[in-house]
Amino acid sequence: MLELKEISKVYGEGAARVVALDKISFSADEDNFIAVMGPSGSGKSTFLNIIGGLDRPSSGEVLLEGKRIDDLDENKLVDIRRGKIAYVFQQYHLLPSLTALENVLLPLVFCGAKKDEGRALEILEKVGLGKRTKHKPSQLSGGEQQRVAIARALVSMPSLILADEPTGNMDRKTGGEIMGLFTQLHNEGHGIIMVTHDPEIATFANSTVFLQDGRIVKKTSQKARRLRKK
Amino acid sequence: MKLYQVVLKDVFRRKRRVLYATLGVVIGTATVVGILTVASAGQARIYNQLEKYGPNLAVIPAINNLDMKLGDVRLGSLAVGDNYVSEDKLPIIRQIADGEIRKALKIEDQGNIATIAPNLYIDTKIRDTSVMVAGIDPEEELKIKTWWKVQEGKYLDQTDEALVGALAAQVLKLKIGDVIPLDGTSVTVAGILEETGSNDDYQVFVPIDTLQKASGREGLVSSVDIRALCNACPVEIIADGINKEIPGVRAVAVKQIAATEMGMMEKFSKFMLTLAGITLAVGLFGVVNTMMTSVNERIKDIGIMRAVGASRSQIVKAFIYEAIIIGIIGGILGYLVGTLLAYVAGPLVFEGTTVAYVPQYFALAIGLAIAVAVVATVYPAYRATQIKVADSFRSL
Repeated sequence: MLELKEISKVYGEGAARVVALDKISFSADEDNFIAVMGPSGSGKSTFLNIIGGLDRPSSGEVLLEGKRIDDLDENKLVDIRRGKIAYVFQQYHLLPSLTALENVLLPLVFCGAKKDEGRALEILEKVGLGKRTKHKPSQLSGGEQQRVAIARALVSMPSLILADEPTGNMDRKTGGEIMGLFTQLHNEGHGIIMVTHDPEIATFANSTVFLQDGRIVKKTSQKARRLRKK
Repeated sequence: MKLYQVVLKDVFRRKRRVLYATLGVVIGTATVVGILTVASAGQARIYNQLEKYGPNLAVIPAINNLDMKLGDVRLGSLAVGDNYVSEDKLPIIRQIADGEIRKALKIEDQGNIATIAPNLYIDTKIRDTSVMVAGIDPEEELKIKTWWKVQEGKYLDQTDEALVGALAAQVLKLKIGDVIPLDGTSVTVAGILEETGSNDDYQVFVPIDTLQKASGREGLVSSVDIRALCNACPVEIIADGINKEIPGVRAVAVKQIAATEMGMMEKFSKFMLTLAGITLAVGLFGVVNTMMTSVNERIKDIGIMRAVGASRSQIVKAFIYEAIIIGIIGGILGYLVGTLLAYVAGPLVFEGTTVAYVPQYFALAIGLAIAVAVVATVYPAYRATQIKVADSFRSL
């Protein structure tokens, strides 16, 4: 469903010129759970931002379900963000003034959907926050905030979830729990592309792409881990 | 949940910053409301003085030989000898006055508009003291001398009654019920006026018919006061019309003083409003500045909203909502502060003026404040839409 053709991204000019991505070709399907690894500065985040239309490539094409999205105007990109693709960030990026439930409802506010508190509550229940829906982000732990962010990503029922270091701010145990949640979502049919620098976390995915200096240097596939029993 | 609710919650969280932005709006709005309130108090005082001048116009015989004053305004000299204006000229005077007012104000109604009060002055002796007795049309006279207050007894309503000026009553030692002989007939003192500070204090007023009969001057009047109850009434035109069409009389407009004062007031108001406009503009830049800071502070929040599906126009909308909230708060505070300012400054600007709050300015204040806040938000909101989502997270 997703295809990148010869994508390059160049920042700055002259002496300050930095090549973040260098002619990358890549494809992913809805049943993929892909980990993107690489050292800092290897272009991981840029890669993810270009896939989701948060950033534009300097050259090359991005196709989503066979249609180019790299040359869409802002309003059309907004439509993609409202339906097909959702994000989970390392810093959670919740609005501090809203409760957990309101943060989950936020995408629905923007796409003009009917206020669907039932579904939002259901999703919060699913990510294990059924009892903390009225809490503000500042009252929640990092793991809990990330669960809210995941619930927010799920509320618009995306076919592809893009996660940028989703466990980067967590201890090993909490990170494992979040990855368990991702594995569950993958099993339910959401495609996931996840950037991480932690090889342990990458083992949850069913394939891994290694980036270095803006190029894909290695691809591996592994059997995705099953849900760990508690 | 709606977008405005998201904005409200965010505004509540950042209340200190939002109040700071509101301050700029408050200063501008308060200045405008304050100046307008003081100006309207000043205008009310001038209108009030205008009323005290009584007639807008006085019609007197063309030949004069006695000094006469009405209110505080000199009308030149007035004949009390054999020079009178015939009563049958009253309908013509009314026709000219009402006609010109209708023309100026585009009134269709054919009813009487101007107040036309004839006077007859007779110099006579009461209790061996020389007194001016004035014959008046009680009803019309009261419309002109709105400041008249009966201190004791009642106002004229019978033909054989007299109303006595405060000082005349003192000098002549007249009390309610005293009978005053008046040539052939006699009148009873029905009321004593409060002191007015004008010639009225020294006079005795009786119904004009009674005085005409007693003095044998039936159908004659000494002067006619005309008062048009509007400030845009064409007093000079009416005076010209009367002077041209009725021989033997002279019509004098007494509005000029008031008009001059009104003109000064208007100039003052304009000057002050210009100052208010400058204050408003300064306030506007203050709000722009605060909103820019607010955009910079919220780059991340804006990025989040964009990432979860907010369009550029929704980001603009969010900022406009915030501006409206700032405008409403700023408008309410601005009205209160401005009115307070007027209460303090008003008496300093116009001595002896009582400032009254003007409820209509509340809507004006709110409207103005919202307009300022929204205008000040346009550029910051535009800047907010230019934020690149990817950059907004990187900058942290």
